[in-house]
Amino acid sequence: MRARAAWRSGRVRIGGILVAIVLVAGILAPWLAPHDPEAQDLLALLLPPAWAPGGQAAFPLGTDTLGRCVLSRLIWGARVALYVAILASLGAMILGGVLGHVAGYFGGWVDRLISRAVDVWMSFPPVVLSLVLMVGLGVGINNVVLAIILVDWTRFCRVLRADVLTVMNRDYVTAARLAGFGHVQTIWREVLPATLPLLATLVSLEMGMAVVVEAILSVVGMSVEANVPAWGVMIADSRQAMYQAPWNLILPMVAILVAVLGFNLLGDGLRLALDARQSGARAEAP
Amino acid sequence: MIATLLRIVLRRLLAAVPILVLVSMMLFGILRLLPVDPAAMSVPPNATREEIETVRRDMGLDRPIPEQYVRWALTLLRGDFGTSIHYRKPVGPLLAETLPATIELALAALVVAGFLGIGGGLGLFHVRGTWKAAVGDLGSTALMSIPSFLWAIILILIFAVAFRAMPVAGRLDMAFARPPGTGFLLLDAILAGRLDLLASAAKHLVLPAFALGLSFSPPIMRVLRSGLHDVYAEDYIRQARLRGLDEGRILIGHAARNAMLPTATLLGVQFGFLFGGTLLVEVLFSFPGMGGLMVEAVRNTDLPVIQAIGLTYCLVVLAVNAVTDIVCLLLDPRLRAN
Repeated sequence: MRARAAWRSGRVRIGGILVAIVLVAGILAPWLAPHDPEAQDLLALLLPPAWAPGGQAAFPLGTDTLGRCVLSRLIWGARVALYVAILASLGAMILGGVLGHVAGYFGGWVDRLISRAVDVWMSFPPVVLSLVLMVGLGVGINNVVLAIILVDWTRFCRVLRADVLTVMNRDYVTAARLAGFGHVQTIWREVLPATLPLLATLVSLEMGMAVVVEAILSVVGMSVEANVPAWGVMIADSRQAMYQAPWNLILPMVAILVAVLGFNLLGDGLRLALDARQSGARAEAP
Repeated sequence: MIATLLRIVLRRLLAAVPILVLVSMMLFGILRLLPVDPAAMSVPPNATREEIETVRRDMGLDRPIPEQYVRWALTLLRGDFGTSIHYRKPVGPLLAETLPATIELALAALVVAGFLGIGGGLGLFHVRGTWKAAVGDLGSTALMSIPSFLWAIILILIFAVAFRAMPVAGRLDMAFARPPGTGFLLLDAILAGRLDLLASAAKHLVLPAFALGLSFSPPIMRVLRSGLHDVYAEDYIRQARLRGLDEGRILIGHAARNAMLPTATLLGVQFGFLFGGTLLVEVLFSFPGMGGLMVEAVRNTDLPVIQAIGLTYCLVVLAVNAVTDIVCLLLDPRLRAN
């Protein structure tokens, strides 16, 4: 059992390290990046990484089709990815979390209304809905955030509603109501603390999802403004030159994988830790 | 008995109708947020203000939005999907051309995801309790972190850029003309008895199908494994052991069959994601399906096409969800009781 627990925290640890790398790169971007991510050097187009033949020390990871420093763009891209991931997942958490709690807590027609809305939303493939939303909203980084919130709130709503329903059977919720707590107070003080671990897990997974959605929208050209160095934009830009410069394509992909894997491991680790607490007996089973 | 089943099937299909109506309203509403003017876009740039107004009236754009919606919905019910602003062609035939390609891709991907997922799930369960389980678990999380569009690029880099071994654009080699028929190329090639055509179509389908299938197999692995965990806690597994059956037969013959039910449900739910996932994979592989058409339409703000394709995606997802529910009802007598 102890070995399991250690391994479990190991998962959180690996995820934490990966996320920390992205976090540090994003926060310290202006100091870490050797160049301006948008500065073009037309005498140094499509340079390979510095260690490869023909590479230059000034561009450690080479340059893209416009002679922009790939390393600098990767580092600034971390900032864009974090901006989208944090705002979008928090927004989706607030919208979906509030509706999920309201649906689970009040039940009845409120629950039916919200659940029906979730059904309608879920019948859109997420990629299609986000694309349609971007057509309606227009490109731009804040619209990407808004589109992700409007697509992914259902993930939070559906799962949290089910969780609230089980919490509602607990005696302490009834006790709180009998003690004269109002609805908002009961949800805030009694229900929310019980659903918080699940919420944290979902937020972590949603951050990974947001990074992917941003990249997907960038690849079809419906994401951030042209002058924002996002990883998805880097992939889209380097597709044309993939035969001459495959590293231009591989590096932003690695960045996306590091971020998504980090968020997923973190979320998974949290889920396992939470699972063990809720049903310690079952975790002992084979 | 059959009457009851029919009633269940009918009720399930009817339940999807109001959702479809709400979906169509939502789609229509979102696209009306758009700051551009479809009327101005569908006339030559040197058109006068009066000409634009005429077009706007002809397209019904001077009407209130609810009325525009009703008009659109009524024409849809007559089977008329409107006219593409960009191609100046009716949308219906455009859809009919591309939908089979997308369905073919999605089905091929489902087969890949099913094989990988079920094989992986059985494998993960088989190594339970050993150090390999930890590795497998970590591996499935890593797999889950790779979305289908990244798989597409990875496969393109490996098989086209590094080895130049596989085609990565279109559905057929240039030398072949598309055979007449259903639009499902594999089927059409078989019907026409053309093995060369079949080989070419299959070769073009493999990489996109794997890109999608690889990204959808990890959740299947996990659900199957936890389903097996649950089933192994049941008495009949112990009974089977006491009867002296070997572990392989218990796993395949007794446990896997019952653990398949949640897995089948998941396959149905995942199909929605998978079907949406075809969009980007099609774009990356220049696969001439609905996804490519949709992205083209999005770039041209071709509203009638976007609306029609968006609705088609939802229709397919709703239909698949309904079918999944029905299949589960048929498979599990316990669900049928209520």
